[in-house]
Amino acid sequence: MPVKEFKLPDVGEGVAEGELVTWLVAPGDRVEEDQPVAEVETDKALVEVPSSYDGTVEELFVEEGDIVPVGDVIISFRVGEDGEGGEATAEADADSAEADADATESAADADTESASEPGTEPEPETPSGRTFAPPSARRLARELGVDIAAVDGSGPGDRISEADVRAHAEGGDGGSDTADSGSDEAPAPTPTDVGSGGRKSAVKKRGDDGATGSAATTAPAPDAPEPAGRETTLATPATRKVARELGVEVDDVPTDETRDGEAFVTGEAVRAYAEALESGESPEPEATEATEAPEAPEAPEAPEAAVVDADASAPEPGSVDASSSAGSTDETVPYRGVRRTIGKQMERSKFTAPHVTHHDTAEVDALVEAREELKPRAEEEGVKLTYMPFVMKAIVAGLKEYPSLNSELREDDEEIVLKGDYNLGVAVATDAGLMVPVVESVDEKGLFELAAEVRDLASRARERKLKPAEMKGGTFSITNFGAIGGEYATPIINYPETAILGLGAIEERPVARDGEVVAAPTLPLSLSIDHRVIDGAVAAEFANTVIEHLEHPLLLLSH
Amino acid sequence: MVVGDIATGTEVLVIGAGPGGYVAAIRAAQEGLDTTLVEKDAYGGACLNRGCIPSKALITGSGLAHEAGNAESMGIHADPAVDMGKMVEWKDGVVDRLTGGVEKLCKANGVNLIEGTASFVDEHTARVAHGGEGQGSESIEFEHAVVATGSRPIQIPGFDFAEDHVWSSAEALDADTVPDRLGIVGGGYIGMELATTYAKLGADVTVVEMLDDILDPYEDDVKRIVRTRAEELGVEFHFGEGASEWSEAADGGYLLHTETEEGEESTYGVDKVLVAVGRRPVTDGLDLGEAGIETDDRGFIETDDRTRTAVDHIHAVGDVSGEPMLAHAASKEGIVAAEVIAGEPAAMDQQAIPAAVFTDPEIGTVGLTEAEAEAEGFDPVVGEMPFNASGRAMTTGHTEGFVRIVADDETGFVLGAQIVGPEASELIAEVALAIEMGATLEDVAATVHTHPTLAEAVMEAAENARGQAIHTLNR
Ligand SMILES: Cc1cc2nc3c(=O)[nH]c(=O)nc-3n(C[C@H](O)[C@H](O)[C@H](O)COP(=O)(O)OP(=O)(O)OC[C@H]3O[C@@H](n4cnc5c(N)ncnc54)[C@H](O)[C@@H]3O)c2cc1C
Repeated sequence: MPVKEFKLPDVGEGVAEGELVTWLVAPGDRVEEDQPVAEVETDKALVEVPSSYDGTVEELFVEEGDIVPVGDVIISFRVGEDGEGGEATAEADADSAEADADATESAADADTESASEPGTEPEPETPSGRTFAPPSARRLARELGVDIAAVDGSGPGDRISEADVRAHAEGGDGGSDTADSGSDEAPAPTPTDVGSGGRKSAVKKRGDDGATGSAATTAPAPDAPEPAGRETTLATPATRKVARELGVEVDDVPTDETRDGEAFVTGEAVRAYAEALESGESPEPEATEATEAPEAPEAPEAPEAAVVDADASAPEPGSVDASSSAGSTDETVPYRGVRRTIGKQMERSKFTAPHVTHHDTAEVDALVEAREELKPRAEEEGVKLTYMPFVMKAIVAGLKEYPSLNSELREDDEEIVLKGDYNLGVAVATDAGLMVPVVESVDEKGLFELAAEVRDLASRARERKLKPAEMKGGTFSITNFGAIGGEYATPIINYPETAILGLGAIEERPVARDGEVVAAPTLPLSLSIDHRVIDGAVAAEFANTVIEHLEHPLLLLSH
Repeated sequence: MVVGDIATGTEVLVIGAGPGGYVAAIRAAQEGLDTTLVEKDAYGGACLNRGCIPSKALITGSGLAHEAGNAESMGIHADPAVDMGKMVEWKDGVVDRLTGGVEKLCKANGVNLIEGTASFVDEHTARVAHGGEGQGSESIEFEHAVVATGSRPIQIPGFDFAEDHVWSSAEALDADTVPDRLGIVGGGYIGMELATTYAKLGADVTVVEMLDDILDPYEDDVKRIVRTRAEELGVEFHFGEGASEWSEAADGGYLLHTETEEGEESTYGVDKVLVAVGRRPVTDGLDLGEAGIETDDRGFIETDDRTRTAVDHIHAVGDVSGEPMLAHAASKEGIVAAEVIAGEPAAMDQQAIPAAVFTDPEIGTVGLTEAEAEAEGFDPVVGEMPFNASGRAMTTGHTEGFVRIVADDETGFVLGAQIVGPEASELIAEVALAIEMGATLEDVAATVHTHPTLAEAVMEAAENARGQAIHTLNR
């Protein structure tokens, strides 16, 4: 039964990576062709990734929350016959476990060998404080804020490599003192650990050789859980990674879950088991020695810190996690996906185009009347008529008169392109952030048509069902912050467009008419322009034209 | 908005377009910084216009003529006539191509070039006086500055460079005829390079040096080889004598007067006197004080390992910031300055800066000598390979000199090398790389080198240090 790998497809033009938000399937699940297997958030949309195969999910290669480049393998399927694939699964899994073990083993091998190279153990202080490290490693040390003189080199004569610097930097905050003095004083490691442990022992890092190892040879501590000691275990790569990081053997993790008749271990179970191991263990003097000897420079940091903590201070389960998150009420929110895209876009616009915002107000009695009149007609056609289509039409009238506001500056080509189309972007606030779907050819569409289209785009934007293409090709944008409240703002241009019109709320406000202050419905306007392309006077004239059309909606008929 | 209203502003202002300044400017621009480079004279600085490049051009030209006329043993009989004017014209062509290239590179990388003389107004402002009377000046506000104003030849009392027959290195590289008799004051590397050049061009060269040997910083066996060869070329040396004055001679030439410490006087008949007693930093007219920067007692601007002066946002690179006054050191400092300004973790953290002297034979050195290594607390081990055991050296007809490599006995780390001989300036690069990379003698010895090349001598010297040389007797 062939296993098919499936890569993250190109989910939208120009999208290079996406965040894998949710897996909709798990290993062992049956999927049909076109069934969605994952949700991926790209630049501006949440897309479902469909399977291209009928089959069973073999393995998930990325974790939820990972940023995945397009073209990376994310999942594999077993295709062909259905059902009883128990054996195959077991085999495949055993294979991958083996591969994992091998990789780790060779890494451990190399480390042990270089560290135990003859003639290098009693290293004298280098004269005049000189450190032997290539320029790249020295620079990295500065970048990571590491004093290179404090780094233990793994090369001949303790020459320092970039990997050594990294290992030091990562170990630095966990318990660098202990780590440093450990490697200075520890006797040269013997390669026997690797040999005697067989291929799987290489997977065991500190947890095994120190903690579990001692639990197996000496009498188990009272609370220490029994290692399950299975031959094979099913687990996702992510879970296996967790296990490696915590120094736990997946075969030892107790579980009741099965997949296709095989024991299945989750990341949760691995963590629980690792925690239980630690809390059950009594601090033993030899533990320090035993655990330090085979310590490779790239040894994972978390378990190391954990064990050191457990040895040195009160053995408190989970104390490491607690210390890293305790004492602060701040919350960290990832800056990626849509948020990051918006941020980048805003930054680019604001720092590229010198913005000027022009403010004015339209008195819209007539517009309010016109809409009231047309509303029932629209309803008959199943359309909810807002003011937006009127504004869009008024903008088109203004743009036709002042084409520089419907343009794009191409600095490299030293030209300003005056757009022939009137494609208006309408900013929509969504839970994930700002989206700007585009209504194309506004000049060719009727009010009702526009109303329906805006409504459709906005609701799909909120559901994050927009296609990337629907957010492209705008020539001018509108932001209706008044829908939420407020009068004036300083909108940021949807770069590379050159102008954006912000709409305040239509409300009755005091207006002076014939020497009297009266209440009248007004629409506050905030027009931001790219001053490189458009001068203030033109912006004001454009605003006048738009206002004229809003105040006299009959004029809209002429467009 | 009227653009003329805005005072010129720049993120990085670089003053001086020598190998320190133009490199800093290009890297800064590459880092995306808005960069302005001010040069008062010629792009490329001393190095390209009247230093490294012109001197190497004339050294090659004179060397070629001399070789051709002295190759009877290879069966070549020739008596080349040198047209000095033409040779200098060729040299100028080389210089023009290089300096034009510097200007193009700057522009292509988006560096704003301004011609004029810069001086500081305050910590964030400089004034640039444009060349020539009445050309006006402009103020430039900067966020960061890099001072790269270089150095100029030291003038000694009694010898005014304005005199026709008193040369600095600049004039020596621009002469259209070869003087019959050339007196050279100073046996440093510039004096020695030009002594060799002019001797090969047929001048009677007399070198007057206050110390008791040439090339002060080098080891005795290194100096001896170069001095002996110079003497073979007809250069006359007078050590322990300082030049005191010149006078006109009855024969239409001049007399170069010297004095020993004890007051003994001598005179030497010359047609030109080249004064090459060192170079001093150029900071006059810069108004460093306005920016809050002082110079040390030798006139250098002090900097830290990030090339920063006492005023953090102002950097100094190249000759103006002290020893070693070498073009490649200036360029490295320029890169570091630009990267530090751009916020990158760059620093002057190299283990060694190589140096070359283009005498006959050449000298190339990097890192520590045996004595220096000992002084630093190493237990040095040394390996040598004489060029007279190198097949390739024999086929070039130049077998003087040796490769010496110095390493730490304990660990084998390469610490330094001294090379005298053909192409020593090129050969030294390999050892520089070895030192930077933390390579050991074994690494160098076990690297396969092409045969037959001079570079094999580096490998052999490393083998020799390990007692495993094949082509020399191991010591
Ligand atoms: C004969 C000779 C041979 C040499 N041979 C070698 C060699 O083989 N190898 C080697 O490494 N080095 C050699 N050098 C040394 C080398 O030339 C210098 O180390 C190098 O040029 C220093 O570079 P720099 O950028 O610091 O300064 P410079 O090259 O001196 O450039 C400084 C520039 O700043 C300009 N400047 C000064 N003040 C101002 C101001 N106020 N405003 C605007 N511009 C200003 C100057 O006009 C000049 O162009 C030689 C020098 C000489 C004289």
